[in-house]
Amino acid sequence: MRKRILPALIGAFLLHPAQTQESVMSGFIPYDTHVEKLENGLTVIIMPIAATDLVAYWSIVRTGSRDEYEPGHTGFAHFFEHMMFRGTDAYPADVYNRILTSIGADANAYTTDDLTAYHISIAAEDLEQVMKLESDRFQNLAYAEPDFRTEAGAVYGEYRKNRTDPLFVIYEATMAEAFTVHTYGHTTMGYEEDIAAMPTMFDYSQSFFSRYYRPENTILFIAGGLEVAPVMRLVNTYYGKWEPGYVPPEIPVEPVQETERRIDVSYSGRTLPVLALAYKSAAFDPADRDRVAADLLVELAFGSTSEIYRQLVLDEQVLEFLATDAGLNRDPSVIFIYTRIKDPDKVDYVLETIDATIAQYQQSLPDEERLAALKSRLRYDFLMGLETPDDIARGLARHIAISGGLLGIEELYSAYETVSAEEIRAAARHYLTADRRVVAVLREQ
Amino acid sequence: MTHSLAVLALALGACVDELEPAQDQADVRETDMVLLSVPTEPTISFSVWFKVGSQYDPPGKEGLAYLTGQMLADASTEIYPYEEILEKLYPIASNYRIRVDREMTTLTGRTHRDNIEVFSSLFIDAYLRPAFVDSDFQRIKSDTINYLENVLRYSSDEELGKAALNQLIFAGTPYAHPPQGTVDGLNSITLDDIRGFYRQYFTIGSATAALGGGFDDSLVELLEASLTSLPAGDAQPAPLVNPHSWEGQQVVLIDKPDADASISFGFPIDVHRGEREFYALWIANSWLGEHRNQASHLFQVIREARGFNYGDYSYIEAYPEGGRRSMPPVNVARRHQFFEVWIRTLPNHQAHFALRAAIRELELLVDEGLSDEEFELTRSFLKKYVLHFAMTSPERLGYAIDDRFYGIEGEGHLTRFRRLMDEITLAEVNAALKRQLRADNLKIAIVTGEAEALAEALSTDAPSPVEYDSPKPQSVMDEDRVFARFSLGIMPEDITIVPVDELF
Repeated sequence: MRKRILPALIGAFLLHPAQTQESVMSGFIPYDTHVEKLENGLTVIIMPIAATDLVAYWSIVRTGSRDEYEPGHTGFAHFFEHMMFRGTDAYPADVYNRILTSIGADANAYTTDDLTAYHISIAAEDLEQVMKLESDRFQNLAYAEPDFRTEAGAVYGEYRKNRTDPLFVIYEATMAEAFTVHTYGHTTMGYEEDIAAMPTMFDYSQSFFSRYYRPENTILFIAGGLEVAPVMRLVNTYYGKWEPGYVPPEIPVEPVQETERRIDVSYSGRTLPVLALAYKSAAFDPADRDRVAADLLVELAFGSTSEIYRQLVLDEQVLEFLATDAGLNRDPSVIFIYTRIKDPDKVDYVLETIDATIAQYQQSLPDEERLAALKSRLRYDFLMGLETPDDIARGLARHIAISGGLLGIEELYSAYETVSAEEIRAAARHYLTADRRVVAVLREQ
Repeated sequence: MTHSLAVLALALGACVDELEPAQDQADVRETDMVLLSVPTEPTISFSVWFKVGSQYDPPGKEGLAYLTGQMLADASTEIYPYEEILEKLYPIASNYRIRVDREMTTLTGRTHRDNIEVFSSLFIDAYLRPAFVDSDFQRIKSDTINYLENVLRYSSDEELGKAALNQLIFAGTPYAHPPQGTVDGLNSITLDDIRGFYRQYFTIGSATAALGGGFDDSLVELLEASLTSLPAGDAQPAPLVNPHSWEGQQVVLIDKPDADASISFGFPIDVHRGEREFYALWIANSWLGEHRNQASHLFQVIREARGFNYGDYSYIEAYPEGGRRSMPPVNVARRHQFFEVWIRTLPNHQAHFALRAAIRELELLVDEGLSDEEFELTRSFLKKYVLHFAMTSPERLGYAIDDRFYGIEGEGHLTRFRRLMDEITLAEVNAALKRQLRADNLKIAIVTGEAEALAEALSTDAPSPVEYDSPKPQSVMDEDRVFARFSLGIMPEDITIVPVDELF
């Protein structure tokens, strides 16, 4: 049913720094995909989708808050994303905006721990115009210090609107406790004192651009109503002279956690208690069977058809929700299990029940039928997410950024298909142990 | 590689010049079915619209429509307990959900065609055979109360400010309370209330079913037949919603300890989609504050030039959950719309200035209208931008249902939108904004941690100069002097401070 991606392509991706290209037709992504690497290192992925005149134009930079290893610069990748809208000599910000406006583009950007994505949805006929703009700002960004300082205020505003959410507050505190040296210890927003100091970092911003906004660190993903050859000609024209020069960040390695950590987090507004458990996990690697099995493990153990969900959410109604995030990161990160508890006196009870669930998955094999249902769910979930060019790009962007191309997601979904009950149990024994975790409880002040 | 490629491609939507948004090909049947067939699409989208919403909540039981809706979508049926429904939906990665707004309740879902039998029977059972089990009721009710008491009041000041503005503009009408209800209202609702509400409002006459994507005739027949098994009865007449008129700038400060400032202001307007004037007004509003568009004017003035906050937008239709979406929502249609300006969270010491700037720019727009250049750029923008509004079958179904609500026949709203971008004149735009918009007699809601100080500043109309830590162009400095002294004309008696825990 599913073809593995062409072995030749894997070789091309991993072994040859010079210009390479392949056409890929894979099992999971139901489109022909052209992947090519320019001589300057820019990876270009083109996905023609017939019968649409819309195009999703995504520039994915493999830099996020993970790369903020220098003290005092947390939140800078996100801030820099804002600066990318401040124009160039050829297209000052007002001209850039005016052109995008005149073509009715839906344009925006976002930053996460491992990537920064700039995305524009347009009519196919406007592709070259957009490529002119995008290739220009990635190569020739030029902003004055006053604009830089002004934009820092907008970033602070973004922090202000987020900081009232108790889930953001506990996430921020838990990550800080989990990572003592690695940059995953701060959120993509950054620490408030660093955000406040951003206006003073003009020189640093230019160094940031120079080190990270380079073709070797960027993937251009274009999907929609287009043909490969003419688009590749445009890509070569507009991006071919982009100079390489990526300088990898010096991200410290997080020491192995040896004992459980517990924190209490206070919230200044009103909230029900929130309990978060963060277990140290591994970096994204579709060949790491434990890591792949862990994705399925947390869904089986805590998803909407799990025993604990039935007990605590539906029957006893102790929890408002129960959610997990297995993490999908370039470096070892965490598996999150988090929940909001309706009865403030039952936090300990909920933690005990979660621990009992984990113990059960460490001792026993999961039900084969439920494992099959989960695999089916993953398959349909992926298929049904491919509705528009922009949906496709959004769905793939993180995998593309983490693995450097489309191979990662192909391999990952192939691996999901073959995970066994024994591997689920092994993942529970490996990852969900108390010495690897942070237990955080957020309550009202 | 199966059927997915061609099929998904076809599902991807309209060509710019040849294909119009698919909603316009809707096959509207006598039996209140809306069909948007895309035979090659691998998924099937469902929607059932009931002509009921929170405006029908009986006084003292605010939240009844919302809880009833949730008891259909998020609870047991007579066929399966809720946990079994979750188990059946799990392997097919599908679900259905309900949106309860002021006037509309829509149950929507989507599944892959491989799983149509399982899904369609669960979907139909949800509205035809709700079990109204007490344990579901207790769960949903406590979740909804928690939403009002903790989430809406505390976790997002922006949503809080917008909900407060809606309450202020529609005070004394059935639109005033959030669709989720009020804490007191929810606490007084019983399971019998829900059973009665269902029988009264979820009737044959109030239901319109819709299908999109790769469905076949048998599914149409199944859905059609299901409607006839609903409780008998017609749609209930909509209650009178008559927002009172007022004089002067009316301000409510929501006093929330430690909060930054989140500002919303507006007033009712008397124009709806479908009407030519609506599209003329959209052009004016798009220039002023198109949602999440960095080229729009308020965004440029408050964020881009001054860096006060994350964004500044304006609306001529209700736009719930604006912080979580980039394109307009569907199925929140209303007989009574309002104009709204949303100034995102900023420091308290900049609130007075930002409010002045926004109102002054609105006043300039009303007084001077758009220039020819602004008009041309904005209509060119909208003609293509509107293609992003309904790219998927669920979105197209949403628009087709909203067209039914507004009585838009023939071409749908989105096709009319694009066509009129070529027809509407600058004179029409400026006439529309002159007639519909104003900068006085506003209702203003501000969430703030410094309510007393802000009330004092507003009531005395004290100058509110701002300082920057970087040089600004002379044009900005000149404009700042105007903004800082711009009179808002707020009378002290028109300012009310409300503790956050007293809202909703």
